[in-house]
Amino acid sequence: MIILNGVSKIFNQGQQNQFVSLQDISITIPPRQVTVLKGPSGSGKTTLLSIIGGMSRPTSGRVTMNGREVTSLPERFLSALRRETFGFIFQQFNLINGISILENIMLPAYPNGERHTLLKARALELLAMFGLEARAATRVELLSGGEVQRVAIARALINNPEVIIADEPTAHLDSKLSVELMAIMERLKADGKTIIMASHDPLVYDAGVVDNIVEIRDGRISCSNRPQ
Amino acid sequence: MANIEKQRAIIDFTLSSLMRRKGKNAALLVVYTLVVTALASVMFFTKSIKTEAAAVLADAPELVVQRLVAGRHEMIPLSYVEKISSIRGIRAVRGRLWGYYYDPVFGSNYTLLVPRELTFGDGEAAVGSGVARSGLAEVGNIMPFRTYQGELFTLTVAQVLPSSTELVSADLVLLSSGDFRALFGVPENMATDLVAEVANPSEIPTITAKIVKLLPDTRPIARDEILRTYEAIFSWRSGILLAILSGALLAFFIFAWDKATGLSAEERREIGILKAIGWDVADVLMMKLWEGAALSLTAFVTGVLLAYLHVFAGGASLIVPVLKGWSVLYPSFRLTPSIDFMQLGILFFLTVIPYTVATIVPSWRAAIAAPDSVMRG
Ligand SMILES: Nc1ncnc2c1ncn2[C@@H]1O[C@H](COP(=O)(O)OP(=O)(O)O)[C@@H](O)[C@H]1O
Ligand SMILES: [Mg+2]
Repeated sequence: MIILNGVSKIFNQGQQNQFVSLQDISITIPPRQVTVLKGPSGSGKTTLLSIIGGMSRPTSGRVTMNGREVTSLPERFLSALRRETFGFIFQQFNLINGISILENIMLPAYPNGERHTLLKARALELLAMFGLEARAATRVELLSGGEVQRVAIARALINNPEVIIADEPTAHLDSKLSVELMAIMERLKADGKTIIMASHDPLVYDAGVVDNIVEIRDGRISCSNRPQ
Repeated sequence: MANIEKQRAIIDFTLSSLMRRKGKNAALLVVYTLVVTALASVMFFTKSIKTEAAAVLADAPELVVQRLVAGRHEMIPLSYVEKISSIRGIRAVRGRLWGYYYDPVFGSNYTLLVPRELTFGDGEAAVGSGVARSGLAEVGNIMPFRTYQGELFTLTVAQVLPSSTELVSADLVLLSSGDFRALFGVPENMATDLVAEVANPSEIPTITAKIVKLLPDTRPIARDEILRTYEAIFSWRSGILLAILSGALLAFFIFAWDKATGLSAEERREIGILKAIGWDVADVLMMKLWEGAALSLTAFVTGVLLAYLHVFAGGASLIVPVLKGWSVLYPSFRLTPSIDFMQLGILFFLTVIPYTVATIVPSWRAAIAAPDSVMRG
């Protein structure tokens, strides 16, 4: 359970170009459900996701994760939180070019100090799950769009996170791949993952798998409800 | 255990990272290696030549007295021994017999010397490693010479001298004084030069003055004087070379600094991604540390090895023309490896450490930034 309490984010505070990106956000994200942050471009979805995922700190307000306050954790613990609790699927996918798919998938686990053979076995298992085992040694820049997306998901899963965070996951996909992605999300939900997505794509927020929709506009919550 | 696995994983990634930026890293590696090679060559060379010179001079007597005729070194009468012995402060004086012999058949030069204590008899010789190596001599072989009158004269090799340094004994042939005199026609009452032992080395200037006064046709040479001359020549020359090379080193650092500190947008983005997926600042820095260390250690080790081969196997052919002075003093010879680890350590600290630090700083700056920019691509 992730609880946000009065979270605000102000960029360039006190300067000429001060910008209030989030204002007084209080929401509860229930575990093992799919929550979608919905809103137009520039409404603050990405900002909110990065605060939830421990990538940036709110200007004010608190975030608690399973009862633990994470807002004021030192940087070192935030890194560990990002690594152990969250799996990120970025809008731009953000894979690392020049190295193999397999290595990309293993990267988030390197700081854990796990035995290399075990880690590799786990990564190969994930690749097999996404039908990519034959491509393990391929370099990322040689992949098709659909493959890149699946590698990005596999990388998010390597540390077996509790929460999956996906920012506009269908933004760079055609409809067929978008539907495929939502099918994968359904599978992950069935596996007990908490899923938080930001999107303004109806293919995402209208999907049957979605449990909660949080609507954001100009950095404020305009409506929070369960669909249907 | 976990930490070892972690370091291993980070190193794995570091190495594949280095391979990705092949062009940039290869160029850096080549320049870096060449700079280390050049500096280490000069260091090895200077150290060895000084060691050689010191070894030669360590065995040299404190004071050598030569006789000059028309400004040239001539045989000295043994009657001078008694005259010099009478000078206060002189402990002992003896005559030495030595000279050079050119063997036209093998085209080689030998230094013939009558040792102070002979361990073999007339008609026998002990030879240096260089003579032995040329295949002319092994124990039991007979070496042919021609006397000053052109007659055949043979010596049996009784022993091969162990060589502490090539320079000291490579071309050496030791023989008895009887054989020496017979070979070169040196009369019984003459020697090549005289060597004197001095009770108190600080009196040497006074003693040399007295010798010249007593025997105006002689020239006394003090060991310290020779040593100082050698030291001065080698230090001065290698100093100039090092100064030139420091310029190269500086140029290299400007180049390296530029390459290393200018994190490309790509590298900055990668650091952001690593942070975003859960790498700690320390993990990122560890990776960059391994990266800098891998590159600079490779360059350092390769450079030092190349310098070693260059100086001790290749005859320092690339720097000899610059340090030409010594080749006038010595005929060509192979240097005995002699390494000053202190100097190597300094070279290490002047190359590997600054380079590694130079690569770490910009990465650290990139790594402490919040990774949320990654979310926005
Ligand atoms: N680092 C930043 N500095 C200043 N303004 C920012 C920064 N990041 C985001 N913003 C602003 O915050 C607002 C919300 O951005 P974002 O969270 O990316 O919205 P969304 O993801 O909903 O499109 C935007 O107007 C954006 O310009
Ligand atoms: Mg966004």
